[in-house]
Amino acid sequence: MHHILIVEDSPTMRSLVVSSLEDLGAPVRITEAASGFEALRELPRDDYDLIVTDINMPDINGLELVSFVKSNAAYRSIPLLIISTEGSERDRLKGLELGADAYLVKPFEPEALRRAARDLLSKAKAG
Amino acid sequence: MSEVEEILDRMRADLADLSDQRARGALEPELANRLFRSAHSLKGLAGMFGFEGMSGLAHRLEDILDGLRMGRLAPDAPALDLLEPSVVLVAGLLERAGSARAQEEAGTEIAALIERIEGALQAPDGAGPPGAGEIDEALLRALTEYEEHRLRDSLRQGRWIHLIEASFEILSFEEGLAELTRAAREVGEVISTLPAPGEVPEAQIRFSLLVATDRDSPALQHHLDHPTAVVRCVHRGAQASAASAQRAEGERSSQGRAAAQQPTPPSRPGQRDHLDHPASGAEGAARSEAKPSEVNRRVPAQQEHDPAAIDDDAAGEAPREIGPELDSLKSISETVRVDIRKLDELMNLVGELVVQRGAIGAIAAQLLADPASARLGRELVKVHKMLDRKLQELQAGVLEVRMVPLRQVFEKLSRVVRRLRRDSGKDARLEIRGGDTELDKLIVEELADPLMHIVRNAFDHALETPAERVAAGKAPEGTIRLEALQRGNHVVIQVADDGRGIDLEAVRARAVARGLIDADAVLTRKEVLDLIFAPGLSTASEVSETSGRGVGMDVVRENVTALGGLVYVDSSAGAGTTISLTLPITLAIIQALTVGVADQRFAIPLTSVLETLLVDPASIQRSEGREFLNLRGEPLALRRLHAEFGLPAPPPEARVAVVVIGLGDARAGLLVDRLEGQQDAVIKPIQGPVRTVAGIAGATELGDLGTVLVLDVASLVEDVARRREAA
Amino acid sequence: MTSGSSWTDLARSAARREVESSDEMRRELLVLWLDGDPYALPVERVREIVRMRAITSIPRVPAAVRGVISLRGEIVQVIDLRRRLGLRGEETGARRARIVVLNGDDGQLTGLLVDRVSEVLRVDEDSLRPPASRDAETVAALAAYGERFVSLFDVDRLLELDA
Repeated sequence: MHHILIVEDSPTMRSLVVSSLEDLGAPVRITEAASGFEALRELPRDDYDLIVTDINMPDINGLELVSFVKSNAAYRSIPLLIISTEGSERDRLKGLELGADAYLVKPFEPEALRRAARDLLSKAKAG
Repeated sequence: MSEVEEILDRMRADLADLSDQRARGALEPELANRLFRSAHSLKGLAGMFGFEGMSGLAHRLEDILDGLRMGRLAPDAPALDLLEPSVVLVAGLLERAGSARAQEEAGTEIAALIERIEGALQAPDGAGPPGAGEIDEALLRALTEYEEHRLRDSLRQGRWIHLIEASFEILSFEEGLAELTRAAREVGEVISTLPAPGEVPEAQIRFSLLVATDRDSPALQHHLDHPTAVVRCVHRGAQASAASAQRAEGERSSQGRAAAQQPTPPSRPGQRDHLDHPASGAEGAARSEAKPSEVNRRVPAQQEHDPAAIDDDAAGEAPREIGPELDSLKSISETVRVDIRKLDELMNLVGELVVQRGAIGAIAAQLLADPASARLGRELVKVHKMLDRKLQELQAGVLEVRMVPLRQVFEKLSRVVRRLRRDSGKDARLEIRGGDTELDKLIVEELADPLMHIVRNAFDHALETPAERVAAGKAPEGTIRLEALQRGNHVVIQVADDGRGIDLEAVRARAVARGLIDADAVLTRKEVLDLIFAPGLSTASEVSETSGRGVGMDVVRENVTALGGLVYVDSSAGAGTTISLTLPITLAIIQALTVGVADQRFAIPLTSVLETLLVDPASIQRSEGREFLNLRGEPLALRRLHAEFGLPAPPPEARVAVVVIGLGDARAGLLVDRLEGQQDAVIKPIQGPVRTVAGIAGATELGDLGTVLVLDVASLVEDVARRREAA
Repeated sequence: MTSGSSWTDLARSAARREVESSDEMRRELLVLWLDGDPYALPVERVREIVRMRAITSIPRVPAAVRGVISLRGEIVQVIDLRRRLGLRGEETGARRARIVVLNGDDGQLTGLLVDRVSEVLRVDEDSLRPPASRDAETVAALAAYGERFVSLFDVDRLLELDA
């Protein structure tokens, strides 16, 4: 059972990402966070196998979340996928520099999201 | 798609603020950022759903707004003028999202607008950003491009940059962090919020607020007055620390002066208690009880400081800078989204409870009537009374939630007028009165479209150009007055203009040309005016860009009638036109009068029932095929419901019951066979293939009386009114 | 690369929470009887089936509309299917008569008054035959029912009443 944390403030986007990942093909449990703050509260509550986060969010942005996760011994090894809108090139690069494992640019096909997720999940298991 | 609508609403409000700020020359950086984020989200959502046009436009909006927030565009840049038309276009696209053809048509509009935006953005960039070399690299890494820009901007302005570090419990950090952030915002700008693992990572979390301010570290630390937060200076500002200390000095003395001038009692021990927590004092009390929207009250509270107390806590608080807080206030006071379906469900439940309570009352009455069960009956009556009281409270409460002030619609309309003013070159002032008048949320939402059409119409056709107006001896600026008043159980909304008025001859001629009336028909003034609601009267050539396509006054009337209301127009040539909408306050639970016609039962909303009478059939007068009653000297037009509904007529000699109904100023008398009783009822729509049944508004479930049809008072009264005018 | 449609589909199915049968080639039909003859309705359009109950008549509606019933607070029109199809014969009797409540295409409900309801039939999609031209107006297809064929209604056309 894969436990995935989704961090995205737009409810519409969030529900799309959730439905897309529910069809992953493997059993998943998805936790939703509507903001960086919520994500910070959710992280200690459970063991996560993947984090999917947006960058543009109101309280703390996605980059700060990535930085927090990757600098934290407890969460460092969780694969992290950034979803961001086209045009935030520099922000995306920063995300990668800060330690994110992959990024997807919106708009993306649901299948692309699933592929990226499967990829990161299997790598984590192996490595 | 409601999220997209929300984003658009937010953008519209923000754009209004932006234009105000541009006029004043004072741009709030947070506003630009907020607009940027909205455009960004819009682009993302539109892209996900395949709305290429919308997405492309949103992308350009994003470009403009990014330029603005990053300082590349000056506040007076012409590109910014294209923001509002773009948002309007996006809103229009959203409305027509269902129609593929409309999307195609919109394609050219979008392309044109995009071209204009790109042209406007060609202009050379503003000043380039200076280096941020003095800031710790590690810090910069987690800043987004925008945050970096804000940082550089602050550096350029010579401000101090600090890191405020504080630790919180993971489960409850939000409040404490919000508190700290608020305090920091009072004296500067919070550029970024950086989380870091706490000492005990599973239970604690550390936050570093990157702040730009004119204070130095000790001053900032002092201002924050937080038990554990630590301020670390990251970059020294241009002003020496002496300057800030000097300012604090000045404030302290002016404060002393101000306090001395107040006639305060010499010592107030109670107040001293308040001041235990230094620098919180009266503000602390005010802060804890005041909601964020009451921040402005802090300033006066401060002035009431006991002068003696000032020495106590060495306050020297600087007067609060209200400015930077405004952005956080706005986000907090954003409206709570209430799904109207949930409201309807609640309303339904309450309605059904009400009907059951009625049934209990009936059973209690039966029990009372029988001596064997009278005692039980009395008990039940007591319970029933209590239930009744509580239900009424509940009903009132739910109804209240449904009620919203008209102000929100009126505000939308004033935005429409602003745009019309710009696009049409006509000048008009919009007066709004009665924005506090409340109506059922459902009705208010349905009213937005008809009202918008009426206002646009007034602008397009009724109001003259400034030149024409001056020639006619009027002020060049026209006036459109939007007014709402409550009249008993109805609300009247009026849209009045002081334009050219309706040309009765022209309307009549057009109606004849369209074959709606005979050339030689004799019509009263009211009937001619009423013709503007006839379908097919407005021609395609009159439909201008601003008044929209294909929405005529006939649709407006349909929409309003569907809500159980009426629309009237009155006009005076050369002086102006007034359109009045009369609407019931709520569609939900009503008190109904049940009447019998032949073997059927009908319900009439009691709010529309003026009185009931039993009359001798001989007193009914006939005139030109219509029937009247002399009611206290006034003629009351009658309608026989059995004829109306094709039911068998009662014997002619029987006394008849007349229910006098009214809506607004219109009156009619309904002839029925029996008056039965009064009930609470929840009107439900009739579902099924037959769309409208003449004279029927819906039906209701009345316990053991079964399903009863509810009469549509508006249609029954209106027909009569129109016919009467002709008489 | 436009992904619009796939996302919208995903959103729609997520919202509707449809339980797709694993075998999509099978259809389920509700068999009902009028005047001794069987007919069928697609099960997906049937919201529920209730016993005959008091019908409140509505004035000035097409003859096929018997009136309205109250269904847990909702007021729903009831179409007398015999009248709708122009069948003569006895008016629908009481004991076994049923009202089949259908989902309209706009979310509204409509009731159909029938003599009786017997079973749910499972058929293969490809065993359906086109209707005889005479019935084409309201019948979508013919399905094999034992030795006979039963008319499967086109619900939307069935509910189209000319005023």
